Amino acid sequence: MAHTPQLLPTRLFTLFGKGIIYFFDDLGRYFSIVWWMLRNSANAKEYSRNILQQMVMIGNNSIPIVLFVSFFVGMVTAVQSSYQLYDWIPRSVVGALVTKSVLLELVPLLSALVLAGKVGATITAEIGTMKVTEQIDALEALAFDPISFLITPRVLAGIFMFPLLVVFGDFVAILGGMFGASTIAGISREAFVEGMKNSFEMWDAVFGIIKGCFFGYIITSVASYQGYKVQGGSEGVGKATMNTVVLTCLAVVVMDFILASVLL
Amino acid sequence: MIAIQNIWKSFGEKQVHKGVDLTVNDNETTVILGRSGGGKSVLLKMIIGLIKPDAGSISVDGKNVTTMTFKQLQRLRFKFGFLFQGAALFDSMTVGENIELALRRHSDYKDVDIQDRVKYALSLVKLENVEHLMPSSISGGMKKRVGLARAIALTPKYMLYDEPTTGLDVETADGINLLINELKQNLGVTSLVVTHDVHSAFVVGDRFAIFENGQFIMTGTKDDIRNSPNPEVRKYIESDIQT
Repeated sequence: MAHTPQLLPTRLFTLFGKGIIYFFDDLGRYFSIVWWMLRNSANAKEYSRNILQQMVMIGNNSIPIVLFVSFFVGMVTAVQSSYQLYDWIPRSVVGALVTKSVLLELVPLLSALVLAGKVGATITAEIGTMKVTEQIDALEALAFDPISFLITPRVLAGIFMFPLLVVFGDFVAILGGMFGASTIAGISREAFVEGMKNSFEMWDAVFGIIKGCFFGYIITSVASYQGYKVQGGSEGVGKATMNTVVLTCLAVVVMDFILASVLL
Repeated sequence: MIAIQNIWKSFGEKQVHKGVDLTVNDNETTVILGRSGGGKSVLLKMIIGLIKPDAGSISVDGKNVTTMTFKQLQRLRFKFGFLFQGAALFDSMTVGENIELALRRHSDYKDVDIQDRVKYALSLVKLENVEHLMPSSISGGMKKRVGLARAIALTPKYMLYDEPTTGLDVETADGINLLINELKQNLGVTSLVVTHDVHSAFVVGDRFAIFENGQFIMTGTKDDIRNSPNPEVRKYIESDIQT
């Protein structure tokens, strides 16, 4: 039978259909790995050494960048709040605004976006390289469960360490806010602290920490999955790494909205 | 004994196995000879359950691998040592850690015994005092030896070799061939070697299977292969003579 070329609408419909099938297929594979992790979570203690290694990699090694970003976020928030509210309301309000903003949103979100690039890309590149060089096959051949050995420790480390980074980031961001307010915006430290004290609520800090747990989970699990499904050689690893950065950033902002809608 | 029966496997449109049959007898070294990219390595991975065939069965010591659960497969894998084409050493671990990984996880050896076992495995592949080195700092030939040491650390019954001499110079490749023969003699392992290197195949093999277009076109001893009138088989013999 002669081959008839498809019309443009048909081609678009086919492409759209394939995209939908690919998306749900991918989502199914991701959740099957998550399900496998949960089912075998009792084995996690056997890989405690890996978990500690990952906590160092994800946590300790990320402290400088999170603190740097947080300090500047605090300063910028203070300076811009002061600019927007100048002469309208008491200056202590700047302290309140900085505290609320960094605890609830800015530190958890911006740290997560930075770490999506740093931690997420590293995880995907590591696991992806292991995949294309048959190291994951070698693990299986040595009777290891590669998901419990490679992915579970990274995800657990993310869930534990991201909230800690958020707490450190919160402190430094408030210090940065106070520094920015006093040196650039001309607001006294006493006024800033007064506003901070008046507006502080423990739930705000706890909410940021909860966000940290979820962001830690989503970044490490998506990055691990992207690495685990790599095909081809170094090109495949490069593509997967790029996908990780894009997907984790998108997932973080969507998760941010969901958490704010549900918990606030 | 490993029995492969009527295996079919495709990847997308590409049919790589079309009803493959092969028997690997105990205490022998069986060599699968064939072109690169033909599906020989896939067959090795199927034997330990890393890849599932579309149809057919593979049995190891009478147990069907293709229907095993994950736990059963893990137990089966204790019987196997696998030397990967690029050695597949874990590049975040030292040579010593690569070898002791499985020992720590799957044996009751104490720390001292594990160190002794690592040294012993390295001595079998003619290496010493390399435990502290990282895989990135050793040569390709050494990587293969370390990969071999890792594979034999738990004294497997079967050894699977995926292109053991690919990418090595002639002298280093001869050294690996010698090691394969020594391990067979010293440890009594049953080996299945996948290669496209005819010279290497004739040095290590007891029985041979020629893999062409998704099937074995001939199996037999060295003499059977050398005297075969089959033009497809002759191609391999003549390529050996030329090299």
